[in-house]
Amino acid sequence: MKNIKLLKLYKNSEIFKIALGIAIAVVCYIASVFYTQMRSLDSSVNLIANATETQLELEKVLSIISIYETNLRTYIITKDESYLENRFLRKGEIESNLKEIDKLVANNPTRVKDVKRLKGLIEYRFALFRETLLLAKSKNPNSAALNAKLQESNDFTEIMKNFVYKTINAEGDKVKIHNDNHQFELEDSMISAFLLVILSLLILLLSFNKMNVDIAELKKTNDELKFLNRSFNNAEKIAGFGHWKINLEKDTYTYSDNFFRLIGLEPQSFTPSLENISKYIHPDDLEYVTRMHMDSLRTHKPTSLMYRFVLPDGEIKYIMSVGSFTKNGKGESVKTGVNYDMTDQFKKTIELEENNKELKSINEELESFNNIVSHDLQEPLHKIQMFISRIESKEMDGISEQGKIYFSKIRTSANKMQTLLIDLVNYSRTIKGDKVFEDTDLNGLVNQVIDELSSNIEDKNAEITVGDLPVVKAISFQIEQLFINLITNSLKYSQEDRAPKISIFSKNIEENEIYDNEIISNEKYYKIVVEDNGIGFKQEYAEKIFVLFQRLETGSKYSGTGLGLAICKRIVDNHDGFIKVLSEPNVGSQFCVFLPKKA
Amino acid sequence: MISHEDSMRILIADDDEDDRTFFSDAMMELKMNNNLTLFNDGKELMDYLANPDIMLPHLLFLDLNMPRKSGFECLKEIRADLRFKDVSIAIYSTSSSEKDIEETFIEGANIYIKKPNDFNKLKKVIKEVLNVNWQFHSSGLNKETFFFSI
Amino acid sequence: MKLYIKYDGIVACRVILQEQLERLNIKHKLLDLGEIEISDSVSDESFAELQDSLSRYSIFIVNNEKSQLIQKIKDTLVEMIYENDKLPAITISQYLSEKMNFSYGYLTNIFSDNTHSSIENFIIIQKIERAKKLIIEDELTLTEVSYKLNYSSVAYLSSQFKKVTGLTPSTFKRIVDKRRSLSN
Repeated sequence: MKNIKLLKLYKNSEIFKIALGIAIAVVCYIASVFYTQMRSLDSSVNLIANATETQLELEKVLSIISIYETNLRTYIITKDESYLENRFLRKGEIESNLKEIDKLVANNPTRVKDVKRLKGLIEYRFALFRETLLLAKSKNPNSAALNAKLQESNDFTEIMKNFVYKTINAEGDKVKIHNDNHQFELEDSMISAFLLVILSLLILLLSFNKMNVDIAELKKTNDELKFLNRSFNNAEKIAGFGHWKINLEKDTYTYSDNFFRLIGLEPQSFTPSLENISKYIHPDDLEYVTRMHMDSLRTHKPTSLMYRFVLPDGEIKYIMSVGSFTKNGKGESVKTGVNYDMTDQFKKTIELEENNKELKSINEELESFNNIVSHDLQEPLHKIQMFISRIESKEMDGISEQGKIYFSKIRTSANKMQTLLIDLVNYSRTIKGDKVFEDTDLNGLVNQVIDELSSNIEDKNAEITVGDLPVVKAISFQIEQLFINLITNSLKYSQEDRAPKISIFSKNIEENEIYDNEIISNEKYYKIVVEDNGIGFKQEYAEKIFVLFQRLETGSKYSGTGLGLAICKRIVDNHDGFIKVLSEPNVGSQFCVFLPKKA
Repeated sequence: MISHEDSMRILIADDDEDDRTFFSDAMMELKMNNNLTLFNDGKELMDYLANPDIMLPHLLFLDLNMPRKSGFECLKEIRADLRFKDVSIAIYSTSSSEKDIEETFIEGANIYIKKPNDFNKLKKVIKEVLNVNWQFHSSGLNKETFFFSI
Repeated sequence: MKLYIKYDGIVACRVILQEQLERLNIKHKLLDLGEIEISDSVSDESFAELQDSLSRYSIFIVNNEKSQLIQKIKDTLVEMIYENDKLPAITISQYLSEKMNFSYGYLTNIFSDNTHSSIENFIIIQKIERAKKLIIEDELTLTEVSYKLNYSSVAYLSSQFKKVTGLTPSTFKRIVDKRRSLSN
């Protein structure tokens, strides 16, 4: 964790800049420390040199005095004049040394005093030399005086020597102290130098590393960009669109390669400009396009235009052009956009619209056909039935037995036709009718249905039980029709030897059932069951029976129009629900209606 | 003002001759002592009603599908005229479309009858309609909410 | 000059009755001879006036106890259905016989004989009439209405409503609403 954090810090250029700043500050600090150390080293070296030289010069002075002494003694002994010539009291010899010493001790007041004293001593010694020489040179040598003088000179030289040695020692001590300091400072400056080097190396290394990392990233980004660019160009080609860019400040146009290909030209076959591209826009659309474009340049509002291009070969293409305004990297306003070849879609849309129109007119035809069926056919049928009922109630006496049978057959057929017509009307209403979804109390509805079918129910001596049913959002009259059909079926297809038992109840969806690739679960659907103990049918027909006009039973015993269950399915479809059936011959049937819980 | 007749005055407008016959036969067989007038179509009916001197009918049966003036149009016109505010109007049609039924009630019909296909049923229906209508009149029930669909 | 007149007394009476009733704006239906059915809402003054005017023709209104009784039954039932906030828990038969001090059997017979309709039927019609009023007022839900009118469930109210009017309560409401918006 810490490593990652550090790494992140490392990568973060801000932190890095700060770190670099600190590092440089530290280096400067150490460098300045080093410099001061060097300076002090320098001065201590100077001091040592100074002291040593002072010592030397002082020694030189002493040695000159010694030489003078020796030469004088030698003269006194040998009386050789040559020892006095260039080796005795030479003018300026000691002076130059003393000057040197003066220079050397200029900064040290104590030493200056000492040198002054020394100079005095030298003066006196010279005076003694001169006196001694005088004595030695006299015709009347006074050896006692000479000896005394020599003795005095010796003593004085001794004194001078002591003095000088004292000074020399003092300088020597100074040298020692400075030497020690010098050692310290040398060590310190070595450490500083070392630190300096290490830090500098570190900074160098880190910077180098970071630079490498950054370069690597840049390269990666660059490569990605290159790749993107290539794929983009490819994509343009494949998808059939081209892009363009207008730099508003410079008034320059840029078109992508595919832009040209879209209008049937070689890439970059003309200089991109409004004038040049206008040559290819369909003359009828040109004014509109130009106007919209120019307006947008003023208002900087995005444009979305569809217009035609006329290709060099005369082909017409429908292009959708979308553009919007933004600023480029330099802050200049640009309009960028995409042109998309819509020709196929356009053609398809037109086709669709035409198909739609056709469908509409077919629908209208069907509707009027429907109207004929539901109204105009019912009228004559109604008459037939009425007249039959008149004849049967009034005129039967005058008709033969055979005639009566014929009439009853006519009546049956007419009733059948009536049922079929009613069913057809019901079916068309489930397709067309006003679809008003409202909260429908299923219990109330079912009870109403039972009321309406009460005579039929009594005839068959049927027993109907209704459980607790939910309130659903539904088209009331359609759901009513649904139950009418289901219950009527159960009554119709009942077994001869037993009284029909019909139960209508709501059930929880236990195992999630699957229908049409969708899971039907308790949360989403109500399950309402209409169960009977009728004649049933083979389960393999479970889907077929919902098909329009499909009937399983033929024969007059069970009359049906083949519409009832198709209507049920239609109604359930209208509610986004499902209907399924489980059945077994001679046992009964169980119709399951699934209605969605939310509308 | 309902005037001096000893029975209910009933008007029926139906363009179909047979239907008119059925209706009058049924009324006759019911022996309910009513005064029945038949009209061949809507226009005839409205012309008759336009006359201010007529005696107001108690009950009016209108077939929906009539040429020249449909039952629906007659309904609207009659209800627009306050003279007939106490007249019960029954729409009489082969259509059993819920939408049609509701439309007629909304426009002011009181009764809607689906033409039955059996003569005996027709008699029953008429009898019940007349009964219900009388009950409303005699019990002082609210005209505005008098609806009966059969 | 002499005029010879042939007349039908019965018809003449009828005409007089009609004229008088119409003059006083009393809705009526002339039944068998000697019987006129009039709407219940006739004020005492109109009644008195009627009696008055008829008496000039020597036509008198017979104070028929039966019809008064029937009227009382109707009034009692209407009161029961309308005025109480919730219908009484006891049965109709108990209620009526207690209120009117006659046996229920007697009351039903008189009612049916004279009105060609049963007490039950009358009650049902009146209840549905009140239901209509409540539905239009729109202050109660259908469940509350059915409770108020002593139906065991909404389903039962709906089913009776449909029997009487041929429409469901919701259809009824829809029609009334649409009618109202039409007239506005």
